[in-house]
Amino acid sequence: MEGLLWYLVAGLALGSALGVVLMHKPLYSAFCLVLNLFCVAVMFGFLDAHFLAVSQVIVYAGAIMVLVVFVIMLLSLEGKERSSSKFITVLAAAGVVGLLAMILGPIKAAFPGKASAITGGVEAIGMELYSKYLFSFEIASVLIMVAIVGAVVLARRIKSNAN
Amino acid sequence: MEWLILIIKVVVIFHVAQGLGALCVWVERKGSALIQDRIGANRAGAFFHTDSLVLKPVLGGVKILGVLGVINTLVCDAVKALFKEDFVPKGTSNFIHSLAPFMAVAPVFMAFAVIPFAPDFEIAGYKIRSQVAEIDAGILFIFAMASIAVYGVTIAGWCGNNKFSLLGGLRSAAQMISYELALGLSMVAMIVLYGTVDLYKMVEAQSGTIAGFLPAWGIFTQPVAFILFFVAGMAETKRAPFDLPESESELVAGYFTEYSGMKFLLFWLGEFAEIGLLSALVSIMFFGGWDLPFVEYPATWVGALLGHVVLMGKIAFFCVLQIVIRWTLPRFRYDQLMRLGWKYLLPIALVNLVFTGALKLLA
Repeated sequence: MEGLLWYLVAGLALGSALGVVLMHKPLYSAFCLVLNLFCVAVMFGFLDAHFLAVSQVIVYAGAIMVLVVFVIMLLSLEGKERSSSKFITVLAAAGVVGLLAMILGPIKAAFPGKASAITGGVEAIGMELYSKYLFSFEIASVLIMVAIVGAVVLARRIKSNAN
Repeated sequence: MEWLILIIKVVVIFHVAQGLGALCVWVERKGSALIQDRIGANRAGAFFHTDSLVLKPVLGGVKILGVLGVINTLVCDAVKALFKEDFVPKGTSNFIHSLAPFMAVAPVFMAFAVIPFAPDFEIAGYKIRSQVAEIDAGILFIFAMASIAVYGVTIAGWCGNNKFSLLGGLRSAAQMISYELALGLSMVAMIVLYGTVDLYKMVEAQSGTIAGFLPAWGIFTQPVAFILFFVAGMAETKRAPFDLPESESELVAGYFTEYSGMKFLLFWLGEFAEIGLLSALVSIMFFGGWDLPFVEYPATWVGALLGHVVLMGKIAFFCVLQIVIRWTLPRFRYDQLMRLGWKYLLPIALVNLVFTGALKLLA
């Protein structure tokens, strides 16, 4: 029963991932991505990593994608179809695949063998994050802060130019 | 057997949630009438007549329900909505238009999956917890579902294919994201205080008393968090004074302007289920769940039932309180709404969190 559900969700995740690339309207692509993130969260849930599943939904599906959908709606891109120059599309796809291979190769080499089962509980992840990986965690938050400040600065400059 | 218990739990708790939503609709209809000095729904079923002696007591009951407006709101409204024309505006996808109400309703009902409705009990050797999903993430799951619920409203606003709907959808998305921060941070303070994200353990942590007379409920240990949580939660349900996404004087009806019939009713049901959800969360996190001071429930199904009744009483109180607030206060202006969320609730929540953490460390 659980195996069946797993393959159902995995298939849905793959299908929606294809939908992100193949859909013609940007908004439909965004919704496909939401569905994909949700499916991945469900798969985390199957692996008993409840906290990871929930934070995947809260952060990606619930916050970041809402902003993406928001921007697409505000810019009313829904009428415009994507430009479909075949050459550029193929080139971009090849570039992405190449880049992914370059990134994933070393990662796979770094973690040989099967993934080991760890407990994905709130407490376990919290302990790891706030003791072992505290420095990188804090650095990441500084990085995000820099990005926010940068975004504000950029937005301001555009406004003063317009005036 | 495990599966059977799970299915029973799902069915029962889904109907508790749905019944809560439906009853809230009735309280809203009759309560608003009471507040506005009207009589309200009292006709449907009130004029049935029979000469049969057998049917008379039955019809008498129906008549009382009719005069109270129960039949009007719970039967007639639903039947009317089912037979109404299902209108889809020109130029939108039918699929997305139908998807929106489901996206608005489903997460609310899914969130009920982690809410415990009674103390543990044993039946035929099986220890039963009245909670559908005993997942480790507990209350964070509810938060995740709340963040998914934004989509239904946003899609609905976009599908309307007009400016009023779109503005309503955007307003609701902005409002829900803004108030989620204060909501989440006030929740984090409670998580720090109880040291768990499991709602069942939170109830257990609130048993007993402080200084011998005050129940050790969250409201007494974290009054600031309660106010923040309740206000932010009411903003999440998008009802007055926070009903800017659907403000009828500016936006016709906001994001559900182009919805009719059962799809419209689904939005409504979702909204009222959200009221029930917020009440359940407030009762469990701040008012001790099924806990009553100086009362010990027996560990049988009788005790569980008593606990359930106590919890439902608390939930009903907060449902009614929200409806009274909704019919008492006028709507905010949009800038006031954003100022309240970002400049008052969020900083207070942060200070409260730091304060709670410091107290926890010192104690």
